[in-house]
Amino acid sequence: MSTLSSKSDQEISVLLDEYGIKHGPVVDSTRSLYEKKILEAMGNKKKAKPSSDKTFYREEEEEVTYVRYRTPVSVLKHDPLHHINPYLRSRSEYSSQDFVDNTRVISWRSGKQSGREHHDTPSTYSTMSYSNATPVKCSVPVPEEKSHRLIPLWVQFLVFLAVAVFLYFVFCNMESTHSEPFKQVK
Amino acid sequence: MSSTSKKHKDFVAEPMGEKKVMALAGIGDALGRRLEEKGFDKASLVLGQFLVLNRNEKLFRDWLKDTCGANSKQQGDCYGCLKEWCDSFL
Repeated sequence: MSTLSSKSDQEISVLLDEYGIKHGPVVDSTRSLYEKKILEAMGNKKKAKPSSDKTFYREEEEEVTYVRYRTPVSVLKHDPLHHINPYLRSRSEYSSQDFVDNTRVISWRSGKQSGREHHDTPSTYSTMSYSNATPVKCSVPVPEEKSHRLIPLWVQFLVFLAVAVFLYFVFCNMESTHSEPFKQVK
Repeated sequence: MSSTSKKHKDFVAEPMGEKKVMALAGIGDALGRRLEEKGFDKASLVLGQFLVLNRNEKLFRDWLKDTCGANSKQQGDCYGCLKEWCDSFL
């Protein structure tokens, strides 16, 4: 294998067949091309082996991180502030629903994944989950779980409060004009 | 091919005889010189290589790239030219 050039034309031909490379006769002019092809095929074979290990590892990783994801959902439900922000509640509902959906996805994926590359996983997550956070979540270890929101929670609160205050002011201003049309009718 | 060059049409119109390698579609002066340096100074020799590679497109393209550094378009043009010539005359 180390010295392809020392092999006979017939041996090269046999190697080409082993790697499933279509070829013509091995002559002087085609020799170097076929040697390159064999080297490429050998390199690819080596690459293929470690990746299959990776997919196996990935299966385990996904299932394990999945269990950990449970806890933030239950924390959210006990959050005293959640009654102020109904959006939060719906999010927790979504994420719990996510959890149900994703378990189904996971179990399906782990069955399929033994023969496939691991980069397929993120695409399935994005089609199934409602929030952006979920696909990122499953591939990220525990300590980083807290940073799964795109916009931090306090910013969301502030924005909500600002909008509420603004609407209140508008409403107050509207009230004074309400009486006028009333007078006109009379 | 929807658009074949004049060079292509000229080449496939008749037997190649002793035409130089530059007569092939996709092979200009620079590539032609490189092929000549490698020993392929006539179009018929490139045809010979094409046939020895079983008229396989991928193999021929790779060979052309390795031998004279042709880019994808040049490879395609040359392959198409030889393929059509073979369909007509071989």
